[in-house]
Amino acid sequence: MQSKNIKKNTTNSWIDKNLPQVGELSRIDAWWGLVIIVLLLIILLVTLVPQPFSRILNYVSDGVIITLVVTLTSFILTMILGLLCGLGRVSKNKLIYGVVSVYVEVVRGIPLLVQLMVWYFAFPAIIINLGKTLNYEPFETYLANPIMMAIIGISICYAAYMAEIVRAGIEALPAGQMEAARSLGMTQPQAMRYIILPQAYRTIMPAIGNEFITLLKDSSLVSVVAVADLTRRGREFMSTTFLPIETWLMVALIYLLMTLIAARIVKLLENKTKLEK
Amino acid sequence: MEEPIISIRDVHKYFRDDIQALRGVSLDVYKGEVIMIIGPSGSGKSTLLRSINNLEQIDFGDIIVDGHSVNNHKDINALRMEVGMVFQQFNLFPHLTVLDNVMLAQKIVRKRGEKEAYETAMLLLEKVGIPEKASAFPLQLSGGQQQRVAIARALAMNPKIMLFDEPTSALDPEMIQEVLEVMIQLAKEGMTMVVVSHEMGFARAAANRCILMDSGKIIEEAPNDELFTNPKEERTKLFLSRIL
Repeated sequence: MQSKNIKKNTTNSWIDKNLPQVGELSRIDAWWGLVIIVLLLIILLVTLVPQPFSRILNYVSDGVIITLVVTLTSFILTMILGLLCGLGRVSKNKLIYGVVSVYVEVVRGIPLLVQLMVWYFAFPAIIINLGKTLNYEPFETYLANPIMMAIIGISICYAAYMAEIVRAGIEALPAGQMEAARSLGMTQPQAMRYIILPQAYRTIMPAIGNEFITLLKDSSLVSVVAVADLTRRGREFMSTTFLPIETWLMVALIYLLMTLIAARIVKLLENKTKLEK
Repeated sequence: MEEPIISIRDVHKYFRDDIQALRGVSLDVYKGEVIMIIGPSGSGKSTLLRSINNLEQIDFGDIIVDGHSVNNHKDINALRMEVGMVFQQFNLFPHLTVLDNVMLAQKIVRKRGEKEAYETAMLLLEKVGIPEKASAFPLQLSGGQQQRVAIARALAMNPKIMLFDEPTSALDPEMIQEVLEVMIQLAKEGMTMVVVSHEMGFARAAANRCILMDSGKIIEEAPNDELFTNPKEERTKLFLSRIL
């Protein structure tokens, strides 16, 4: 009996000392291994086989910037719009709830690619037709900015998903939190701002991080609406050089590196915002 | 005779149209009184308590708190400032430190400055016996400590009335006493209190009146702890025989 206990204890302390604990980031893990492999691969390809890999990297580098700009701007807008719509989804006001619910259901039911087409091709056509009927000069000569339309399209689509995440985060909190806040005399908005949202945000942090990574990858869809992002630059390079294997290997590696870095940033933020226990 | 500080008049409350939680409850509470409500689960005692600060809206009747009707009060938040509430599950804000839990509503509802809010909070944390935990987070505390913080948080608003909704039911037995002591101290200082609880010890030490509720009605009312020691109604005797 006693020896059994001792054995159990030593096993436990060995585990405590040598294995990373829940939520802890060890210095060397699978993530570092992967990042090093991907980075090494890119560097080796570019230095050892500069023809064509160095050329590809040079060619698509401005596309990387565009991809990052589209992703980050869309994500910020998604967060703002998603928060507002999430609040609308838990609103007791029937009108606000109804409008937001219709928006969420409609947007979630249409593929992002189709939505981007609508924003880039159909929306400007509507404006121009409207300009013609109203004889309004600025509308008649309206020219859509591809990057702007892409950002609008992605943000409006992703905000619908974000709204559901925010709603779930709010509804996951015990009702007692709102009751305690209200019983102290806080107004509904005060309780939301100081009590409910700070807690909901901690709960949904992993889901938000996921959305960010998915958004980064989905941003490649904007390549079909005349935005010169990483994917589109890759396609342009391929069509002039006829090197599909090398081109898409390079593009894929760059995307992988970006998502790996994003995943780690998300993980760090998650650990920072954990509740103290 | 002075006006009661809480006047509950023929209150009815329905849940989902068909289940009746309160069936014509009337009760007057005077300033400085400590009222204890007991009864089986589903008897409406918590619903009655929660309708005093309008966490539950009543369907019929009226509740007057400190001269204002709860039913159609223009500024319910102003009324709630005067009515502190302590919950069974503590409901502390887990993302804030103990100190911030006690300070937040003072600052944003009572509009007190940082210094005044801090001093009030520390004074109250000393009063409930845990000033050393001011910078801890609620989930780091024991249940009894959390409930004492919850009492301090409610008291920080300087309420005229304190409501306790089964404050010791979620606590381990050895922690019940530390919470009851704080409550008894509060009663001795003259706070008006309505307490839903089955703690006979509290009834003996502090209650002015005890009330037994069953199926949405007041069955029996008795001064001090006589409801426990000398029950008149059969229903009361039956209930007490089950809990004691």
